[in-house]
Amino acid sequence: MFKKAWIKYVMLTLAVILGTLATTTTGAAAATKEPHYVITTDTTYPPFELQDKNGQYVGIDIDILKAIAKREHFTYKLVPISFNSGAQAVLSGQFDAIMAGMAITPARKLVYDFGTPYYKTGVIAAIAKNSKIKSLNDLRGKTVALKTGTGAAAYALSIQKQYGFKVTYFNDSNTMYNDVALGNTVATFEDEPVMKYAIQNGVKLKILTKPANSGYYGFGVKKGHNQELIAKFNAGFAAIKKDGTYDKIVAKYIGAKESTFAGSAAVNNSIWGLLKQNKNQFLAGIGQTLMLTILGIILATIFGVIIGILAIVPNKFSHGFASTIIYIFRGLPLLVLAFFIYIGIPSLTGHKFSALLAGLITLMLNEGAYIAAFVAGGLKSVDNGQMEAARSLGLSYWKAMRKVVMPQGIKLMVPSFVNQFIITLKDTSILSAIGIIELTQTGTVIISRNSQGFRVWFLVAMMYLIMITLLTFLAKWADKKFGNN
Amino acid sequence: MATKVKVTDLHKSYGDNEVLKGINLEVQENEVVVMIGPSGSGKSTFLRTLNKLEEPTAGSIAIDGIDLTAKETNLNKVRENIGMVFQHFNLFPHLTVLENVTLAPVELGKLTKDEANELGRQLLAQVGLADKADAKPTQLSGGQKQRVAIARALAMKPSIMLFDEPTSALDPEMVGEVLKVMRDLAEDGMTMIVVTHEMGFAKQVADRVVFFADGYIREEGTPDAVFNNPQDPRAQDFLNKVLNV
Repeated sequence: MFKKAWIKYVMLTLAVILGTLATTTTGAAAATKEPHYVITTDTTYPPFELQDKNGQYVGIDIDILKAIAKREHFTYKLVPISFNSGAQAVLSGQFDAIMAGMAITPARKLVYDFGTPYYKTGVIAAIAKNSKIKSLNDLRGKTVALKTGTGAAAYALSIQKQYGFKVTYFNDSNTMYNDVALGNTVATFEDEPVMKYAIQNGVKLKILTKPANSGYYGFGVKKGHNQELIAKFNAGFAAIKKDGTYDKIVAKYIGAKESTFAGSAAVNNSIWGLLKQNKNQFLAGIGQTLMLTILGIILATIFGVIIGILAIVPNKFSHGFASTIIYIFRGLPLLVLAFFIYIGIPSLTGHKFSALLAGLITLMLNEGAYIAAFVAGGLKSVDNGQMEAARSLGLSYWKAMRKVVMPQGIKLMVPSFVNQFIITLKDTSILSAIGIIELTQTGTVIISRNSQGFRVWFLVAMMYLIMITLLTFLAKWADKKFGNN
Repeated sequence: MATKVKVTDLHKSYGDNEVLKGINLEVQENEVVVMIGPSGSGKSTFLRTLNKLEEPTAGSIAIDGIDLTAKETNLNKVRENIGMVFQHFNLFPHLTVLENVTLAPVELGKLTKDEANELGRQLLAQVGLADKADAKPTQLSGGQKQRVAIARALAMKPSIMLFDEPTSALDPEMVGEVLKVMRDLAEDGMTMIVVTHEMGFAKQVADRVVFFADGYIREEGTPDAVFNNPQDPRAQDFLNKVLNV
C-alpha cells in the first residue's frame, strides 16, 4: 500500500511539473501588458555578452538591449545558448530575435531581417603569444580553430584555399582560444573587438593580421517576422545613439580591466576562492542537473517499461513497433536527438517548447530506449514456465505479467537501472548544447569570464563525482527498500 | 458418468514437424488416465494442448462440453477448472509457499485473502506441508516443491488435473511422497490425466493406460491389458524395455 501511494505521489508531481514547463512560454507573455519577446544571445562572446562575477549577463549587446527595451516599452526573456544553435533556433521560431554579435552578411540577409547595424567589426587572425608564425602564409598545412557558424569562420573558409590551412570547429570562444594558446591548433579567426577584449583579459594570444572583411553587427529576426520588434529596436537605437547612452555602454566594456567583471586574481587563483565566488551559480547548475536527471529517469522509466513490455508481448505489431522505437532512439546520438527536438520539430510545426522540456523529452526517449531494451531482456530472461504456470491457473496474460513475471524480471533489472541512472546524470551535460544552464554549461560560462580552465573544470568534475556517489547510494537504498518486497 | 474431456482428430505441427498426427481420446468424470510412451512420442505436447498451452494445428478439444478451439471461448475461465502440474514445478520464487497457493484464487476474485489463506493452509496440510507455509520455494526440496505445486493447482478447485511428468525431475527418494499425494487425489475421485514414466503408479492407480508413439495413440486399455498383453509391437517393445530393467 505504501508503495502504491509513493508511485501516485511521484506521478502527480511529474504531471504538475510537466504542465508548468509546457505553459511557461505562453504564461509569461500573458502575464504582462507590454509586448514580450524571447531573445537569444551567445553564452560567451565578451565584451558583447558575458556573465559577471555575480552570474548576471552583461556586455555591449546585453546593455544595448536593456536600454532599448526600457525606452521602447517591451519586455524580453534572454536565453543564452551557443551561437550556432541560437541562430538556427531563431529561424525555427523558437526565439523571436538574436542579439549575439551577429555579423550582417549577404548570406544571412537572405534568411534574417536586421535592425540598424550597431557595431563595426572586422575579422582578424590571432596566434599564440609565443608562436613563430609571421603571416597567413605560414599557416599552410597547419590547423586553424574556428567557432561554428560565425562570420569569422566564414571569412576563414573563404581564404582557406589561398593559404592552404586545415580547420577544426568549436562551439564556444574560450575553449577555442585555449586550444590555440596550448598549441593544439596554430591560429584562430575572430572578430576584432572580441579578440582584443580577450587578450586584454589574459588570453595568451596575439593578433596577427589587420581587420579584414569589415562589416557590422546586427540585431536579427527571422525574415518577414517580428517586424514591430525591429522597428522598436531601430527607434530605440537611434535614441540611445543620440543621447550618448550607446557610447557610454561601449566605453564601459572596451578597455575594461579583467577584474571589473571577472573578479580579482587572488580569488581566481585558488580553488576555494572560485568555489566561494561562484557558489550560487554552481548550486543553480547542480540543481538543474539533478532536476534533469531525476525527472529524466522517471520519464524514461515510464516510457522504457511500456516499450519494453510491448517488445515482449506475443503480438507482431506491438513487437515491431517497440523494436523500431528502441532501434531509432538508441541509435541516435543524444545531441542529435536534442537538436532535432529543440530546433527541428518547432521549425516544422511552429510549436515552441522550452529548452528544459525539449531536454526532458530527449532524455525520456534516449534513456528510455536503453531502459526498454533491458526491461525486455529482463522479462525475457524470466523462465517461460512461470508464465505457463500462471496462465494454467486461469490468470490473464497481463495479470500473469504483473503478478508473476514482472516482480522477478524487475529484480534482474535493478543493476541496469542504477547504471542507467548514472549514465543519465552524465548525459544531461550534453543538453548544455541546447542552452540549458546545467552544471557543465555553468562551468563553460564561468570560464568564459575568468579563463580559469583547469580549476573550474576540476571543480565541475568533483561535483559530478559527488553527485554520482550520492545517487548511487540513494539507488542502493531504494533497491533495498522497494526492490525486495 | 459425464464426459470431461473429448478430443477429436487432434493434430499439432511445429513447422514441417508433425508431432501429433490425429489423436482421439475421451476421459470420463472421476477417471484416471495415465499416458506412457517413449520420449518424443507426443504425450507431453498432447497434455499441454488440453489447456491450450500449446495451440493445436487441427482438430477439436472439448472440456466439459466447451470447445477450446472456438474463438469465443474464454480460455481463462476454462483453465480455472483445469489444474496443471509441471515437471519442473514452476513455483513462483518471489512468493512464499502460502502465497503461491493463494495467488490465483485471490487475484481472480474467487476468495477473499482470509478465505484463501485458510484454504491454502488446509491444502498445504493435505499435501503434508503445513509447516512450510511461510517458507520460500528455494528452501524446499524437489518433492516438497512438487507437492506445493499440486496444492497451488488445487486451490482453484479444478475438476480436472493434468500432470506433466510430475516426478521426472525428482531425486528417487522423493518420488514416493509426490505419488502418494496423487494417489490420494485419485481416491477422492479427481479426474486426472497423467504423463509419467512411473509404471508402478500406472499399474496401481490408473483406470486406463494410453500408450503414445510417433504422434499416435498405439495402444489403450486397462493397466492389466496394456501391461500384460500389449497388442501393438511398439508397445510391446517399449514395455519390454521399461518393465524388465
